Amino acid sequence: MTERKASAKVIPTEIIPEPGSRTVAIDGKDYLVANDAMFTFYQRSKGELSPYFVALRDEKRILGCKCTRCGLVRVPPFLTHCPDCEFTPTELVEVQQVGVMNSTPPITYFATSLFQRMAPFGRGRVILNGADTALSVNVYTTTGILVPGLIKKGAEVKVVFRDDRIGESSDIFCVPTCELTPEQVEKKGLQESEINWEAAVIPQLPKASKEQVGIYEDSVREIASVIEEMNRTERAKRDIAEWKRDIQVKTMGGEFGILIDDGEIRLRQGKVASPDFVMVCEDPRVLLDGLAYRGALTDAVILKKLWISKNQEFVTIFKLDRMARSLARTSKR
Amino acid sequence: MTRRVGIVGAAVTPFRAKWFEKTYYELAQMATREAVKDAGISIGEVDAVFYGIYNDIFERACIPEHPLQGICGMQNKFGIRISNGGATGAYTMSAAHAYVAAGRFKIALVLGVEKATDCYDFQSMSSTPEVIKTIAWSGDSFFEQQIGWSASDSYAEVVLAYMDEHPGDLKPEVTAQVSSLLSQNVRNNPYAQRQLDQVTPQEVLNSRLVVYPFRELEICVYSEGAAALILAEEETAKAIARNTGKPVVWITGVGEANEHSFAGRNQKVMSRIMSDHYGAHRAYEMAGIKDPAKAIEVVELHDAFVHQLEISCAEFGLVPLGRADALIEEGLMTPGGKYVVNPCGGLIYCGHAVGASNIMSAWSARNELIKRKLKTALVHGTGSTVAQYTACLILEHD
Repeated sequence: MTERKASAKVIPTEIIPEPGSRTVAIDGKDYLVANDAMFTFYQRSKGELSPYFVALRDEKRILGCKCTRCGLVRVPPFLTHCPDCEFTPTELVEVQQVGVMNSTPPITYFATSLFQRMAPFGRGRVILNGADTALSVNVYTTTGILVPGLIKKGAEVKVVFRDDRIGESSDIFCVPTCELTPEQVEKKGLQESEINWEAAVIPQLPKASKEQVGIYEDSVREIASVIEEMNRTERAKRDIAEWKRDIQVKTMGGEFGILIDDGEIRLRQGKVASPDFVMVCEDPRVLLDGLAYRGALTDAVILKKLWISKNQEFVTIFKLDRMARSLARTSKR
Repeated sequence: MTRRVGIVGAAVTPFRAKWFEKTYYELAQMATREAVKDAGISIGEVDAVFYGIYNDIFERACIPEHPLQGICGMQNKFGIRISNGGATGAYTMSAAHAYVAAGRFKIALVLGVEKATDCYDFQSMSSTPEVIKTIAWSGDSFFEQQIGWSASDSYAEVVLAYMDEHPGDLKPEVTAQVSSLLSQNVRNNPYAQRQLDQVTPQEVLNSRLVVYPFRELEICVYSEGAAALILAEEETAKAIARNTGKPVVWITGVGEANEHSFAGRNQKVMSRIMSDHYGAHRAYEMAGIKDPAKAIEVVELHDAFVHQLEISCAEFGLVPLGRADALIEEGLMTPGGKYVVNPCGGLIYCGHAVGASNIMSAWSARNELIKRKLKTALVHGTGSTVAQYTACLILEHD
């Protein structure tokens, strides 16, 4: 299943900080830094756009607007009169739920604070059959993490409706039709629960040869050395300030833990009690290269060389990538 | 009849990842103080102020400019704020130019300021996710905010559409070289956020993907800082120049364009940045430039992303569309090449204090024209969803 920004409250309670302040000392002077927020609540009318969102929510239909003079069909129906035809009125029409990507969609790996749980996700524009303009949608694959090259310009995609719809643009998303059965492609109002989503399972590692055990031991020694250096580097330590994660790392030659605790990072041999998440990589050199800034861990996850048990832990992967860069920057000085 | 308008003073504050020591009040005043000093005038001689501030949420106030009127010594005078996404600074210069050229004012202050990284995400215990969330309130509020729109993914849409049309261009090894080159340029900019962050192309390639196809070292960094210019009409500008001994750098062309924010037939052509094309060519027309590839020597452009820098240069007519990699492959922007591109390090290395960024670019272009004894520079700002907004200025040194 694909996640979307969802919460019991309009502002997710888990993102709201406690009131408070702290003092930052710079060059012998203190500066006060206070926790704060700007917020406004709305009961916002969708006005003339209401038929579009009601049709998404209640009827699983997609509406556009057709200019009664030039015939251009705009989806979504974001205007009532055509500016290309001296503001001739438009009329609502229904369009099909299959279309093609207007261009290759970007993939977000590092999302805003509201969408971190959703990442990675694609967002692109689909020209639905019967439409002349492109509708902005999320795009997903049923086969796991969305990787570059999987969905390109011209790819045929199918609109999928969420089971729980609220009358927002996030009520729908698209998946490639090649990942669906002909019946699913044909079906109007296809819902996400009708699709087989590939479940995330911990990859099984083959038994290690003697040589691979040797690689493991060398790599762990080197990882330990990089981690020690990180602990001596102020910039790298700042990257994990106020962050705490116990990570179990499993590789073909053995397993160990990486423990992050508010500016400190440590390596521990063997199993970690109650890890926050698990990393699996056949070859421990993938992790070593990431930490030593010879290739990004983010890319290793995308390229399936490194598996993580929770997508939202991309944020920890980013922090480790950031530490690697901080170490590389500091080493140059 | 319009009057000639010139830049007679300019200043920037240091651009930093975080200014714990100063609010935007003080940053704005710092830039103002230094700009009037550079022009050798009193603030009392300035007739009007044009504020470039992009995002109310960054400054944590609606009409964030109102305290600046008194703080900057402009009480009881004309003050107007311009907010046009990433192109805020360029549009602010455009507005100030128009008023001065029209004869409304003799001397105007252009003042850009932004404090982006006070925003903070208490989940990841870092600023960036909250900074980009703040920017993401700029996406379409009915159709795109709810599906994870961000500035990066909207520019990536344009870049990927360009790459669909021109699959041989924007090669990863070339975009990495552009970033590396900008990191060398920034060495000479003591006000830059990343003055000492020189990277190799391989390091760029090793940096992580943020939004495909952008890597971390191919994206501008959010910044805090301010920049200011003093503009004056011709006679006043010449008098100021006689006093300071610094030459006037004239604004001889200005051009703007905002595209459609929706895509498809009769709307945005996703593979192009037509706003850049129209903005630049309108500025050339006003400046009487027939062949930009011959006339333009310094380019200070808004490099939100390296790939967009390359496409923008093609839209400006400096390299052919589909052959933007010529900037590197034919040595057009490498040291000693035909164009001096982002000598300040660009927004990727100097930093992106949004409302101030393009004004910082103009500050740099003015310095380069004078220092290198060159004649013509192009200054550019891009912004909004899918690179929708552009404003360009032509600066000329007599």
